Amino acid sequence: MSHNDQQTQHAHHGEHEHEHHGGNGIYIAVFLALCVLTSFSFLTYFDFWRSNVPTEVSRAFMMAVSCTKAMLVIMFFMHLKWEANWKWVLTVPASIMSALLIFALIPDVGLRMRFASFDRLRFTAERPAQTQKIEDDVDLPLEMQKEGYEIKPTT
Amino acid sequence: MSDDHHGHGPTFDYQPALPISNGKTFMWLFLSTEIMFFAGLIGTYIVLRFGAISWPSTHDVHLAEIWGAINTFVLICSSVTVVLAFEAAKKDQSSTAKGWMLLTLLLGCVFLGIKMFEYNAKFSHGIYPMKPHSQIFEKPDVYYAQAVRVRLTAMKTEIENKKERTDTDKDRLAILDGILRQVDDAEVTLRDNPDSPEGRIKIGKLADAIYPRASVHEHHPGGHVSTNTESPFRLVATVSDGTGDAYELGEGDDHPVGLNDQHYWLKLPIMIPGGNMWASTYFLLTGFHALHVVVGLIAFGLALTMTLNRASAGTIENIGLYWHFVDLVWIFLFPLLYLF
Repeated sequence: MSHNDQQTQHAHHGEHEHEHHGGNGIYIAVFLALCVLTSFSFLTYFDFWRSNVPTEVSRAFMMAVSCTKAMLVIMFFMHLKWEANWKWVLTVPASIMSALLIFALIPDVGLRMRFASFDRLRFTAERPAQTQKIEDDVDLPLEMQKEGYEIKPTT
Repeated sequence: MSDDHHGHGPTFDYQPALPISNGKTFMWLFLSTEIMFFAGLIGTYIVLRFGAISWPSTHDVHLAEIWGAINTFVLICSSVTVVLAFEAAKKDQSSTAKGWMLLTLLLGCVFLGIKMFEYNAKFSHGIYPMKPHSQIFEKPDVYYAQAVRVRLTAMKTEIENKKERTDTDKDRLAILDGILRQVDDAEVTLRDNPDSPEGRIKIGKLADAIYPRASVHEHHPGGHVSTNTESPFRLVATVSDGTGDAYELGEGDDHPVGLNDQHYWLKLPIMIPGGNMWASTYFLLTGFHALHVVVGLIAFGLALTMTLNRASAGTIENIGLYWHFVDLVWIFLFPLLYLF
């Protein structure tokens, strides 16, 4: 009985805290920030960005923007900024588990990202031939060369 | 026993549970599992995408970035409206809360509508996640040529078996024969000289004529295909195929026009390197996300039947938490699927 009272007391306390924080002004500010951030990551679509910024850099930039947006949503819209310490109890284990799920993919990253077995290359689409030197005596249309059509004769 | 503990050492407040309502505890536990679910999916996507030897560019597979950005904006708006509904409910303004809730529901529907429009742009070009609908071939080899031939002869037989042929039928027969000659030429070249790349190049050119890929042609604006660059917003373009009847052409964003576009009835197999893996991952990720959106919409619909006063603020908060999570997932999916 007393436990229940304590729990409801805490719950009420928490609700009161909400009313002190939050507020529509903050939500509008966060909304505007999210819109601006979205337009930032959309900038990478345009030619002037693509021709001036390396792909890796813009990918890292996009992920940084996404993480910032995610933090804004989690802190303000999901109210985690104003919650009591119970938030760590629920979010930290989930984050650790997700990190483990991602780490479990590391062997695949190592085996697949920069390396392909012979069979994978053999049965794949034509892209790997791109890395092969195209013989000068073969008259290959330019767009085919760009796509790296397989032209190595089997000897 | 507990009195002993109170006797010495520091005293702690005994917490029977988390200091939040059971509903909110459940929602956060559920969201924890959801975080893991999408972390696994997105992680797998990253490994498959960057481990893939070839991966289509967005315009190769009729993906228009602007629609992804618009959908991001729609979801952000709906996140704001649901949080405003929660604030209104806390202040006991139930009609204001209902208004915001209704707006959230509508924005969710807009998101799904755009998603369906986008899906349709893929489906209309034979891009499906799996057989039998999928028309995607990975490379221009003999199997691709054979698939093209099978489709051509099936259509040809159908027309030839007709008792009376219309002018349209005759036109179509001529087009079919023209493409069949190209297939014959490529296959004969390959048969007569299997060691030379000539035959494979011919099949490659055939594949390019059927379904020209934007990534191949954007370096060749003066090529034999015309490129539509009118507006990045355009998903549907209207093109006349010479027979007088206009028809709809899926998504014209930088999309070169091939035989499949010129003659909508052809529906020939298409060649997109890495296209099958792309389709699998794209439809899986966006499909699971869309399912979550649908569940959210059902929750909003149920909430609209309630009186959204202070008493139901907890329910609205929980639905809101779920909806923000759906928004969160899209925040990561948008750059990964559209801009990477």
